[in-house]
Amino acid sequence: MTLLEVRKLSLRIGPVETLKGIDLAVNAGEIRALVGESGSGKSLTALSIMKLLPAGAVPAGQIHFNGRDIMAASEAEMCGLRGNDIGMVFQEPMTALNPVKTIGEQVSEGIRLHTGASRAIAEERTRRILDRVGLPSSKFPLDRYPHELSGGQRQRVVIAIACALKPKLLIADEPTTALDVVLQAQILDLLQSLVDEEKMGLLLISHDLAVVADIAHSITVLRHGEVMDSGDTTRILTEQTHPYTRQLAQASMHIPERTTPRYRPPHDALLSVRNLGRSYRGQRAGLFSRHEDTRAVDDVSFDLQPGQSMALVGRSGCGKSTLARMILALDKPSRGEIRFSSQRIDQLDEIALRPIRQNMQVVFQDPYGSFNPRHKAERLVSEPLYLLDRPLSAAEKRERVDRSLERVGIAPKDRGKYPHEFSGGQRQRLAIARAIITEPKLIVADEPVSALDVSIRAQILDLFADLNGRLGIAYLFITHNLSVARAVTDTVMVMADGQIVEHGRTEDVLRHPQSEAGRALVEASPDLHKALARRIGEQG
Amino acid sequence: MLVYASKRILIGIVTLLAASIVVFSILEVVPGDPARLMLGMNATDDAVRTLQEQMGLNQPLLERYFRWLGGLLTGDFGRSFTYSVPVISLIAERIAVSLPLALISLALSTAIAIPVGVFSASRRGSIADTASMGVAQIGVAIPNFWFALLLVYVFAVVLRLVPAGGFPGWNAGVWLGLKSLILPSIALALPQAAILARVTRSALLDVLGEDYIRTARAKGLTRRRVLYDHALRNAFIPVLTILGLQFAFLLAGTIIIENVFYLPGLGRLVFQAITQRDLIVVEGVVMLLVATVIVVNLLVDLSYAIVDPRLRSRS
Amino acid sequence: MISATAWRESLFKALANRSFLVGLLITGTVALMAALSFFWTPYAVGTFDIAGKLKPPSVAHWLGTDHFGRDILSMIMVGSRNSIAVAFVSVMIGAGVGVPLGLWAAARGGIIDELLMRFNDLVFAFPALLSAVLITAVFGPGAINAIIAIGIFNVPVFARVARGAALSLWPREYILAARASGKGAARITVEHILPNMTNLLIVQGTIQFSLGILAEAGLSYVGLGSQPPMPSWGRMLFEAQTMISIAPHMAVFPGLAIVFTVLGLNLLGDGLRDVLDPKLQQVR
Repeated sequence: MTLLEVRKLSLRIGPVETLKGIDLAVNAGEIRALVGESGSGKSLTALSIMKLLPAGAVPAGQIHFNGRDIMAASEAEMCGLRGNDIGMVFQEPMTALNPVKTIGEQVSEGIRLHTGASRAIAEERTRRILDRVGLPSSKFPLDRYPHELSGGQRQRVVIAIACALKPKLLIADEPTTALDVVLQAQILDLLQSLVDEEKMGLLLISHDLAVVADIAHSITVLRHGEVMDSGDTTRILTEQTHPYTRQLAQASMHIPERTTPRYRPPHDALLSVRNLGRSYRGQRAGLFSRHEDTRAVDDVSFDLQPGQSMALVGRSGCGKSTLARMILALDKPSRGEIRFSSQRIDQLDEIALRPIRQNMQVVFQDPYGSFNPRHKAERLVSEPLYLLDRPLSAAEKRERVDRSLERVGIAPKDRGKYPHEFSGGQRQRLAIARAIITEPKLIVADEPVSALDVSIRAQILDLFADLNGRLGIAYLFITHNLSVARAVTDTVMVMADGQIVEHGRTEDVLRHPQSEAGRALVEASPDLHKALARRIGEQG
Repeated sequence: MLVYASKRILIGIVTLLAASIVVFSILEVVPGDPARLMLGMNATDDAVRTLQEQMGLNQPLLERYFRWLGGLLTGDFGRSFTYSVPVISLIAERIAVSLPLALISLALSTAIAIPVGVFSASRRGSIADTASMGVAQIGVAIPNFWFALLLVYVFAVVLRLVPAGGFPGWNAGVWLGLKSLILPSIALALPQAAILARVTRSALLDVLGEDYIRTARAKGLTRRRVLYDHALRNAFIPVLTILGLQFAFLLAGTIIIENVFYLPGLGRLVFQAITQRDLIVVEGVVMLLVATVIVVNLLVDLSYAIVDPRLRSRS
Repeated sequence: MISATAWRESLFKALANRSFLVGLLITGTVALMAALSFFWTPYAVGTFDIAGKLKPPSVAHWLGTDHFGRDILSMIMVGSRNSIAVAFVSVMIGAGVGVPLGLWAAARGGIIDELLMRFNDLVFAFPALLSAVLITAVFGPGAINAIIAIGIFNVPVFARVARGAALSLWPREYILAARASGKGAARITVEHILPNMTNLLIVQGTIQFSLGILAEAGLSYVGLGSQPPMPSWGRMLFEAQTMISIAPHMAVFPGLAIVFTVLGLNLLGDGLRDVLDPKLQQVR
């Protein structure tokens, strides 16, 4: 039975037509994935169904839910539907809950509103649903506040709010994008089992085909507000008749061509880390109790050879970024030592660090936050030239900037543009151009592609692979995404609770992880290959 | 909670001590001899010496400071030089006017501003919103003492509804006393209310844009319920901050307004003391007002923790 | 700092913003009036005309005359100089001391930051009026007292704004990239931190300017500000007070001048904030 039917849904925000005639259907008990890159209109489609569009957005077309005409429904009728028959889960669990209300209040509020139940009965139901989503009241009493929970736990509360009254339709808008892969797998599992138990329909919105390939029954692919492709998951993924679907799938599985790295004997390690540790002074629990120190990085040792590309993988909060900052000499270790080209660097002052910094640059995650918005590309890219022993003339500077821009595939004439005039992918190229301008031996890249759409991600990974081959730059690649690690690295280190728990060749670690943390990561990682193989197997 | 509260209280005490040093040293940096400054150039040396002794000026600096501080703590603010009475009794007499005036104005401005701000935010963009925020915009620009003059002209001079100024004293009856505080408190409260209403509205609108508001709406709550159940409490924090800061302005405003209405409050006392060079009185009144500002801000800090559970659990 | 097109865009956006436009017109008018008063006023403000005292508005005296027969319009024109000068210099004092303090505290953190915050707490406990009372008690009355008292009060305001903005900028990735390029805290502050908070500082400056006008008027009203014979709006109101029953126009016009100026500055500030703050540009 068709639970939700969207026909010819269009949406105007001011002069811009953001949705152009979208058709979409969800049956009871079905998981329908809505996949598309940023700006494709996925979230707006969801908000149209909920009638929670931002002010100024004008929808047109038809939306029928369970035999009711949503477009014609009054605000009062919608309030009766929302949270009762249609539940919604949002992307950002850290901000989706009211910080001044307890989780019990926030879950039971909807129950009391729709059922008119007494406080006691509503609290009983709240306990049950929280228990169901994995927050048993023995460990998570109702009077907890959101800030006392982790991101994954908060997302469970949001799911509990959405599912408290066993809605017929659940809309989940990128419910796992803000979480690491292990949490992602857990949340997807939870959603799937809720759908199975209650015969709910689930509209699952995602930017990544790989994420939904395992659990979705059917997929609708959106691009620029239009439906590109739609149908049964197995058919969509195996046939890939639509070129855009094919492009998305390929980008998701993309592995750049790489020249095999030359083996180097370990005695001339480029970067050598020994027994490194970093503690943070913790919060005091009480007025007279002592500060509890937390060890963000704990007794880490490893070597990185020249030209070697190494991945540092781990769940969020495992200490990988702290480790990266210490290597970059942006943070001082509490214990242990770091050597770069045999020279100890962890105690050096800024002036002594200058020659080191020339050879060690950095690329960050956020293509928007990586640049001073008031400087032009030329000034941004040339910033590390400040490290050179003698200042360059304007002409020399421009020549270096142009060469660097060319290497990353940006036309030198764009050097006069401001960062906001570049797209996200181009900005990440700019960040790389800035990192290679001093011709460093090592680039530390902190989640450099996780904020990018899959097709752009593939291009940036190609660029990393290419620079590694052509310029012999070594990488320390920090990521929680194993397919990224597989794409561009020779070796992998798995980090958990501040320690390196596994270290080996990328292929070996990803195929046969030895540590518990490694296994958890590998099992949880969305993998289009595996999902496809499974589906083809099921088909026979 | 305990950690947060004790830290704030400690900070409050340190600030009070620092403020007392500032106020005390102002007297010390007086060019020349304070005693001579107070008595004027024609005073006899004997008179100056007597006053020096009376003020304890011949004792070492630190000793004098601690004696003064100890006096403050036990309610001994020294003796007024012009009135020849303890400063504390002067203050006690005057505060009976200033304190009710400040409190009535604070209550009045809050009682007007919060409903207006909430109403405006809930009907954002409506004619009522535009009109009330337009009035508030002008209200913010009006100096309270000028507003007071206009009120005196309209209600006392033209309409003759209330006295133009003066204070009959509380002994003459509570109602008569209150009646003479009506215009002053309106003059003080309305410009303050304009600021507070604007802050309330914008704080609410900020909160209404948060993600958790959308979550609440997705639960099926109406706009109205979301506003009252979810937004209001979160918007309270910035409103409290402004309320705390405003209190200092309110005190300053009280002092100025007392001059418009010839009210025998702390303001009149301090200005008379300046003209008469009665530095001990100036010192005492200023210290009292500064201490009030610090204590009020401490109370605001502590009430954050009641509103925001994040402060309660964190140190 | 910004490209020509970006400037044009901002300018266009600014002129399309009604608050900004009205605010600019009002403040422009007041500034022109103040400038004009250096060369010309309808009557000289120093000349007394006892015979023509307390005259209501007329063709000869647009806003009437005061108890000494002086022309009120001329007094308001000359008085605007005093208001503007006091407010401007106190904003400069506040920004000149407060902004470096805030930047320094944010860059250093730790004990320096804590000290600055406590210093802020302390200064906030002294509203401009109380500082002025103390200063006047010791040094006697004068316009300079008002400047110092208001300026001191502005210091923690600017320190707080600069510190807050800098603290939100320091963890940005472009700051980390600059550190990885070997740049020290001072250089980063000048190159990256300060330029990215100028908008905020301009808006805050406008707000403090308007508060300064109000505070100056209050101080001269109670006799703690500028002294005769220099005309000032606040003292004009003080003098009007005793005449309120016979010459209400003496109270009305200087007050309107204050309201007009402060309203203009506030509108300008609101408009600037809308135009300059990208966060508020989002349509919700």
